[in-house]
Amino acid sequence: MQLNVEKVSKTYPGNVQALRSFGLTLRPGVLGLLGPNGAGKSTLMRILATITRPTSGRVLWNGTDIANKPDALRDVLGYLPQDFGIYPNLTVVEFLDYLAAVKGLRAANARRRIRDLLDIVNLRDAARRLLGGFSGGMRQRVGIAQALLNDPKLLIVDEPTAGLDPEERVRFRNLLSELSGERIVILSTHIVSDVEAVATQIALIAHGQLIAYGAQETLLAAINGKVWEVVISSDALPQLRQQHLVSNTAHRSDGVHVRVIADELPKAGARPLEPSLEDAYLAALAAHRSGQAVREVVA
Amino acid sequence: MSTLYAIYAIGRADFLERVRRHSFLVTLLFAVYLGYAAATGQISLRLGEYRGVYTSAWIGVMVSLITTTFLSLVGFYIVKNAVERDRQTGVGEILASTPLSRTAYLLGKFLSNFAVLASMLVVLALAAIVMQFLATEDRAFHAWALLSPFLLLSLPALALTAALALLFETMRILRGGFGNVAWFFLWGLTIGLPGAIDAHRFDPFGLWTVFRSVVPAARATIPGYEDAFSLTVADSSVRVFPGFHWEGIDWTSGEVLLRVTWLGVAFGLILIGALFFDRFDPARTRAQSVTESKQTGGASEAEAHQLPGAMGAPATISFALVPLSDSERTSNFTRIFVAELRLAVKGYRWWWYAVAAGLVVAQAAVPLEISRGLLLSAAWIWPILIWSALGTREGRFSTQQLLFSCPRVLPRQLPAAWLASVFLAALLGAGTALRLGLAGQGAALFAWAAGALFIPSLALALGVWTGTSRFFEGLYTAIWYIGPLNRVPGFDFTGGGSGGLASRFAWLYLGISAILVAAAFARRARQLRGI
Repeated sequence: MQLNVEKVSKTYPGNVQALRSFGLTLRPGVLGLLGPNGAGKSTLMRILATITRPTSGRVLWNGTDIANKPDALRDVLGYLPQDFGIYPNLTVVEFLDYLAAVKGLRAANARRRIRDLLDIVNLRDAARRLLGGFSGGMRQRVGIAQALLNDPKLLIVDEPTAGLDPEERVRFRNLLSELSGERIVILSTHIVSDVEAVATQIALIAHGQLIAYGAQETLLAAINGKVWEVVISSDALPQLRQQHLVSNTAHRSDGVHVRVIADELPKAGARPLEPSLEDAYLAALAAHRSGQAVREVVA
Repeated sequence: MSTLYAIYAIGRADFLERVRRHSFLVTLLFAVYLGYAAATGQISLRLGEYRGVYTSAWIGVMVSLITTTFLSLVGFYIVKNAVERDRQTGVGEILASTPLSRTAYLLGKFLSNFAVLASMLVVLALAAIVMQFLATEDRAFHAWALLSPFLLLSLPALALTAALALLFETMRILRGGFGNVAWFFLWGLTIGLPGAIDAHRFDPFGLWTVFRSVVPAARATIPGYEDAFSLTVADSSVRVFPGFHWEGIDWTSGEVLLRVTWLGVAFGLILIGALFFDRFDPARTRAQSVTESKQTGGASEAEAHQLPGAMGAPATISFALVPLSDSERTSNFTRIFVAELRLAVKGYRWWWYAVAAGLVVAQAAVPLEISRGLLLSAAWIWPILIWSALGTREGRFSTQQLLFSCPRVLPRQLPAAWLASVFLAALLGAGTALRLGLAGQGAALFAWAAGALFIPSLALALGVWTGTSRFFEGLYTAIWYIGPLNRVPGFDFTGGGSGGLASRFAWLYLGISAILVAAAFARRARQLRGI
């Protein structure tokens, strides 16, 4: 099972370039796709989900170009878009049954599958209620359920935890972890903690380009020894921000505890810290913005 | 002053949002077509078998009446989405959280509606000027005579149309498809009523203002003229009466005041609309669309939390999902057909189904002529809102991405949706079909079948191509009114009004249906390819 993204570019009308020669090879596991707003994540998701076609380049699912034969992938695809709607006059069960039919599931299998999924997304007791009265978080859970209807081999989820309460978010993370064994899961988000919790591989994207790709450990190792904690007064903070990349601040009684990313000791008395994924992400983005060489970390 | 600026800003933003869409180009092309139809005589203002010489006044009033008549009908459907767009995009909620009043918001939207219609009017006014120079029947160009009908007849009528479109959007019952159907009849009533009750003061479209000016002049000039006055389509038998050089409407202050009054009526309608407008408050909207409820958070938090199991479940449970084998992924076509049928008919009140069932039973019980006439007509307008959802439901409820990422949408889902609607047409007309079958009227049964295929095909093609249900609702109502209800041969797709030509017209409708379905599939194929 393999998904190859080969030099994919996407240009929208008005010469807006959303993706530039993007390339990746994915095997079973969870890929966390991280990037700032407008980086091209959703465009990539839509291309991988066969919703839109790349302007150039190609995407191969087990060797088949999905632009030419989209159904080769659609048969085994589960997709949760960032923005999606539901039919308000259907109940959860009716809506899932409708999509199961469109996805090609037989009635008996669909019924069994829907029952299991309702338990998983914690909607069993709301199964017979019309979707029109659902809250945003509940609708998101319906979206998660529909993505899993056909036991997908490739599961693409775009900002899946948006609208979920903290408890449901943890449930969903656990679900993704359990599902990843025999399938490829692509999790696109800008919530670093979600990726940190479940992703085995991480791809950082900015301005439509892949700026870093690899296992979490590899990305963290790349900035090992470059994260520091500095305690300064509030007045000194602006100057420190100008000189170094600051990933976090916390006001305490002894001053401001500032988390700084720097190649060398940023200030006398600075204490080295264990790098987090957020540090690695911010460092990669900063390097990309300042025009430093793109760092490809291969797992 | 700040309120005036807010009204202007809302109108400007809405207008820009509209004119920067490709569909606005189509809108202007429609105006160009109307101008072309007028210039080539496809639509003409007739005085019985004659028309006047193409003076500035005659051309001005003719093109102005074409503008008023057609733009008031079609333009309504074009602009009736100003509030809906804000509802769908969520901009409405942002605006609702500002101090902006309902009236100011609606006035801004009215400005935009009016500007869109006025831009089409400008195209037609330019076409009228060109027309006079091309026709060369009268070389004397009188700007006021040519342009005053646009200013005093068409503009107030379009202002009224713009305001009515807005009023419909503010009233829950008229906001959707029912309002689109109702507009056709209201439009027809507005055109016909002033003449019928001889009250030109109730004539917003200005037809009778022209009538009262043209007809006396024609009486004095054309021998044997008997007050015939009509705006006709596709009738080339009209002749020019060389001596009839009509010089235009005498715009007395009374006439001008009467026309300007309609601007005041338009303003009044907006004020009425402000009373009904829910200001994007979902609590005032009983039946929300998905997008609405999505953007508003749907059910209240309190309501959502009342659902047992929605909260408080442990975060760590077993996610036992039984894997599916490849053979379990392929369902038969019947399953998706049933799913589409259920989706189509779901969500109506009990009385909707009761009326539908009553119509079918009545068709089987009454004499064949009534069954095939009035009852079949009624049965084939009743599910218009189901048919108008064909090809547009995915866009309306933002489910395209879910649907278009499913396998074999083109060979399975789209045919299933279309067939479900064909089945519905056949079911609603089953009583008549049964009677025709028992009476051995094979040709009539064939015409009935062609009609049952034609309706969903038209709905599917218009839905997929335009992305909105408004055009089908407007066009189908018009065809239904002219054809099945008034039995105009050729337009009656049920075959009832076509007499001995029923079979020939049935073949024609079958051909049209095939083209429409092919067009819908071609468009959907492009959509699936992400083009």
